[in-house]
Amino acid sequence: MNKCTSSDIQEMLPDLLHRTLADDARKRVEAHVATCESCQEDLDVLRTVKTAAVFAPSIDIDTVVRQIPPYRTIVPAIERPTSTRVVSWLVAASLALVVLGGGSVLMIQSKGSRASNSTPYTQVQKPVATGLETKLSPPESVVVPRTVVPVVAPSPHALALAADADGLSDGSLVQLMNDMDGFDALPGSEPDPVISVDSGDSL
Amino acid sequence: MIPSPEGRPEETDLELITRWKAGDSRAATRLVGRHSQALARFAASAGERDGIEELVQDTFVRAFASLDSFRGASTLRTWLFTIERRLMLDRRRAERRSRETVPVEESDHVSEYGALDGLIAEEAQERVRKSLDALSPTQREVFTLRVQQGLSYKEIAEVVGSTEGAARVHYHNALKTVKEFLKDE
Repeated sequence: MNKCTSSDIQEMLPDLLHRTLADDARKRVEAHVATCESCQEDLDVLRTVKTAAVFAPSIDIDTVVRQIPPYRTIVPAIERPTSTRVVSWLVAASLALVVLGGGSVLMIQSKGSRASNSTPYTQVQKPVATGLETKLSPPESVVVPRTVVPVVAPSPHALALAADADGLSDGSLVQLMNDMDGFDALPGSEPDPVISVDSGDSL
Repeated sequence: MIPSPEGRPEETDLELITRWKAGDSRAATRLVGRHSQALARFAASAGERDGIEELVQDTFVRAFASLDSFRGASTLRTWLFTIERRLMLDRRRAERRSRETVPVEESDHVSEYGALDGLIAEEAQERVRKSLDALSPTQREVFTLRVQQGLSYKEIAEVVGSTEGAARVHYHNALKTVKEFLKDE
């Protein structure tokens, strides 16, 4: 048996079975099948498959229709399902929590930074007046933690610029002013110098 | 309107949908009556054995719940087949998962084959069923939609989520397999 080469006819065989072809197409296919063994065989197979349809149970239409809610009750559920509404509320609540929580944290941090700006560090000016110290290290500003800055009492040879003058008594202040008059420049508030300036021969 | 066999003008699916949306529940009955057996046959041809009534029912409930999304670009039946096929795939996935966790009892095999024997009585039906079993799932769907339901390749491609060309290839491969199977029997 020769294989049919009319692919367009082969394509229409199921439509011939279902009677969905237009009249002229149906006549053309029927005329071809009448003379083509291959298409006759194909049509027999298709007819067998179609008529021997696998068993399917009969569907009770009323039972199915009873399960279908009326249109008006379905539509709101489609447009705005309950789960979506719940999710929306949860998202809104989460956002509110984030905003409130973030605001609280920022407030705490700003308070903390204000407090820390007033206490933890003190800028200290290194001595600039003594000649030997200037040679050893150039004058510069250094930042040192206040906790390590030794508290030195005012002395005739030293003046703490950052020392709390409010804590001095009137007598001490007078003494301090007198001492300042006696200096060309203001010494630092550091501990005793590492290099002794008294010996003078260390260089 | 399409003329009915009795000569009365028969309402189209879209007209019935409009009537149902307007509150006419009889329109739903007409739609279900028009398409339910085709859905049951498709499910059976696709290999569903149990719960076909529930499957058809679920298909209609889902379809009616989302009728607003049906634009009429395809026929209502094609759209229903698409929904039913998705439900079948979901079922199979769920069955596969339950089979992975629950050991299959010996009695399950017996009852399954017993039910099948009852479903397919005649020899011709048995031969056709076996020939369809020899196809891949997609070939089987395409072939039964084309031969038993008379859908076009365009409609089949829509149902199975493929292209017309791929549907055509699946159909011809399936026809070749079924032909050889029936010839050898």
